Amino acid sequence: MYGSHDIPVRFRDDRLTLSIEVEGDVKHYSRECLGEKVEKTIHSKDNRILINPVEPVNTPKDITSYLLIDFEKPVIIEPETSIKIYLKFPVEIGIFISGKKKIEIIDVLTLVNQKFTLYGTPRHGIICKYWSSNVYVSMPTTDPMYEGVIQLEIINTSTHWTEVTKAVFNAYAMKIYYNDDIVSMQAKMKIMAGENAETDFVNLPLKSSMRKSVELYTTRIAPVLGTKFVMENGL
Amino acid sequence: MNYTDLTSPFFDSSTIIFKIIVIIWIILFTIFIGKIATIRFRRSLKDKMSKDHLEIILKIIHYGIIGAMIAFLILPLLGIQPSSLLVVGSIAGIVIGFASQSIVSNLISGLFLMIERPIKVEDNVNIGDISGTVEDISIISTIIRNYDGLYIRIPNEKVFTNTITNYVSNVARRFEYVVGIEYKCDADKAIKIIKDIIEANPFALKNPAPQAFVDNLGDNAVNIIVRIWAPSTEWYGVKMETLWIIKKTLGENGIEIAFPQRTIWFANELKNKNENENENENENENENEKAGD
Repeated sequence: MYGSHDIPVRFRDDRLTLSIEVEGDVKHYSRECLGEKVEKTIHSKDNRILINPVEPVNTPKDITSYLLIDFEKPVIIEPETSIKIYLKFPVEIGIFISGKKKIEIIDVLTLVNQKFTLYGTPRHGIICKYWSSNVYVSMPTTDPMYEGVIQLEIINTSTHWTEVTKAVFNAYAMKIYYNDDIVSMQAKMKIMAGENAETDFVNLPLKSSMRKSVELYTTRIAPVLGTKFVMENGL
Repeated sequence: MNYTDLTSPFFDSSTIIFKIIVIIWIILFTIFIGKIATIRFRRSLKDKMSKDHLEIILKIIHYGIIGAMIAFLILPLLGIQPSSLLVVGSIAGIVIGFASQSIVSNLISGLFLMIERPIKVEDNVNIGDISGTVEDISIISTIIRNYDGLYIRIPNEKVFTNTITNYVSNVARRFEYVVGIEYKCDADKAIKIIKDIIEANPFALKNPAPQAFVDNLGDNAVNIIVRIWAPSTEWYGVKMETLWIIKKTLGENGIEIAFPQRTIWFANELKNKNENENENENENENENEKAGD
């Protein structure tokens, strides 16, 4: 389903129904998933749409730009060492339409159940999109319409053993790559002294011949407030 | 040559052009000092207050410096001594002070509100007995749009001295329900159903974890307390929709919400019953006797 498609276009499976029909210069967009139906009328002369995974912080409502992944099992790391682990993250799918060499998002959908959480205190914390994942030491298999894979390199620069139970990421930094089999990101977590850590993303695909997703936050011309995130409220 | 020389009669009479040049130079210097001061204050305060409030404070600083320079440097050049100004100014100050006491009080309160920032534009707040959304905070007053859509202007002095509740200052907040179920119903089952409903709502936060537990055994119901944390921007929507879903789902699972009821026992119920039975027996005997006759 991911990639660029000519309009008219139709997709249907047991979880999702999506179609764009043409009527002159007008396109009728319709999709239904998880009991939610969206219909839009689009005026555009171009006949191409792009479907790709986007930063998983847009649905059901764009109230945060942070994703918190809760580890089902904590990871304990020796001082001044590093480890590469794999985590799953929820996939959100962006539908873009092009026109006059510009693309515009027309819809974002997801097939996963949504949940938010608080990282830190109500006074000084942040609201994050929540996802719980097992910790894998080799790349897990996933349904690319449902979940993606983050390769997370945890670097313990402190002089103490450190237990990591969660990771918080800033969506403005996310670099998502995809192919027909997998949706992926690469990230780093640098543990510093005082139980703090800094997370950031690496702009590289996990496998060769993966395509880079259109970054939704960039296309929205959102203010980039810095891409790294410093976890100061516990690891 | 010092500054007092410039104010002497000799210079007053002989070098008017020079005096004008000095005044122009002082004005330019004052404007320069004012600019430097505003740039410094802008840098140090820009992260501490909104742009609109910062501009107001910077203007006060800028014109305050210019006013002070005029009073203490230029007026003496024109032969007006600051000490005489002070006498006139203090008398005028007392008069104006009495006349504009509330305005000055509002102004000072407005400045402190801008520095302390307990509320911001678009915040949902309660100030005294007024609840609504903050539309504007000016130097004298604060404008609230209450939940009926009415425009309410509150003088800043009242805002500053009243208790302010800001509903969206923290990123998350908690609300609670009390769900009273009938005594005959299974409270464990009810709690599980309630927790599943909360889990299914995306805006009911995973952490801090929601709570559902039997709080007390009331007169008419087993009371289950339900506590849910939600993002401050979404809590009202969650609160509005969740309680009815809980009620409906509990009902679908055979758990009924209790309502006040009384079971009344009559102390002489048994006696009345026996008397009635005896009366019936006597009547039957009389009827049998009549039939025998």
